[in-house]
Amino acid sequence: MQLVTSDGELIQRAATGDRSAFEDLYHRYARPVFGLALRRLGDRGRAEDAVQETFASIWRSAGSYKPDRGPGAPWLYAVARNAIVDRARARSEMPADIPDEAAPGPGPGERAEQSWVAWRVHRALEELPEREREVLALAYWSGLSQSEVAQFLGIPLGTVKTRTRAALAKLSEILGDDVE
Amino acid sequence: MSRFEDLVDRNGLSGEDEARLRRVHELLVQAGPPPDLPPALERPPSAPSVASAPSDDDAEILQFPLLPRRRWPIVAVAAALVALVVFGGGYLTGHSKKKASSFETTFVVPMSGHNSVAFLRVAARDSAGNAPMELEVNNLPTQKKKTDYYELWLTRDGKAIAPCGSFRVNQRNTTVRLSVPYDFKRFEGWVVTKQTAAHPAPGPVVMST
Repeated sequence: MQLVTSDGELIQRAATGDRSAFEDLYHRYARPVFGLALRRLGDRGRAEDAVQETFASIWRSAGSYKPDRGPGAPWLYAVARNAIVDRARARSEMPADIPDEAAPGPGPGERAEQSWVAWRVHRALEELPEREREVLALAYWSGLSQSEVAQFLGIPLGTVKTRTRAALAKLSEILGDDVE
Repeated sequence: MSRFEDLVDRNGLSGEDEARLRRVHELLVQAGPPPDLPPALERPPSAPSVASAPSDDDAEILQFPLLPRRRWPIVAVAAALVALVVFGGGYLTGHSKKKASSFETTFVVPMSGHNSVAFLRVAARDSAGNAPMELEVNNLPTQKKKTDYYELWLTRDGKAIAPCGSFRVNQRNTTVRLSVPYDFKRFEGWVVTKQTAAHPAPGPVVMST
């Protein structure tokens, strides 16, 4: 699936003061940015502020985006991550009592990889038609079985399976190299 | 979480196509659900800082709303008089010498608490948009534990919103350098909170504008 306008083009247009391009970027990325901020900051209020700060930064610094250095998504990710990390860093505890041993769980590299995957997937979900996105959300994250999803939506079970498969196929196209 | 086999009708899928769908399935599982956007974020920001086109003015000092630039000498003098009453005559003379340093103050924010005062001097923003600040605190109690500290915040609607830096005091008069990138127009005032390991930030307010 080809996007009508690429992220990079929208960033470049936003750099010239094109408000509609900025709004398109917002609708594509508000949810991924909020998800990223929420995971990193663990607080909805602070995550909301981080989203506001991120898009203010995007608007201010869109002119620094260089399309020859790569597509728009990684640039937007970097801007969001910087805004979120700035907020998190300012709230961290005093370094006087840093534990000697590493904490259990994923390290910084794994966390970054997980964040990037979530960013790309959530961004791709925004491209799906509402009815397919809804089926995926119910099938993957609601805890309902396929039959229950069919009952909940009032559609045949076969339609649920068809939409699920179609949605996964579209996501595969949107995610491109990430699926290889 | 359902298995791929339960979710997808695999009839007619080639091996290659099935592998791709499986990979997408794994990515969805790994990513987890996207969050619901709160109502405040359903529309793009329309604040002046975002609604107007980018310009060179963005890096310019943004005046703290409660203290217009032309008024800062008056406020500084008034605050110094308060300090004079509280701490005695040595205060003004001691600090008039410090103003000879290279820190070029753009405006001053006086703060006060129970038996304590502070002066937050804010300098012009650098080319990256950072506003250097120098916080001079007088008579705040020293911390009881080594994990305790104070934190400076910008406030909105009476709440500490944006952290501006942490510091400790170890004597009657402590001066620290801080720097923030925030747009001061988005906030209403400043507070200093007391932070301990036992309580999440922001802690109790000990000084305010």
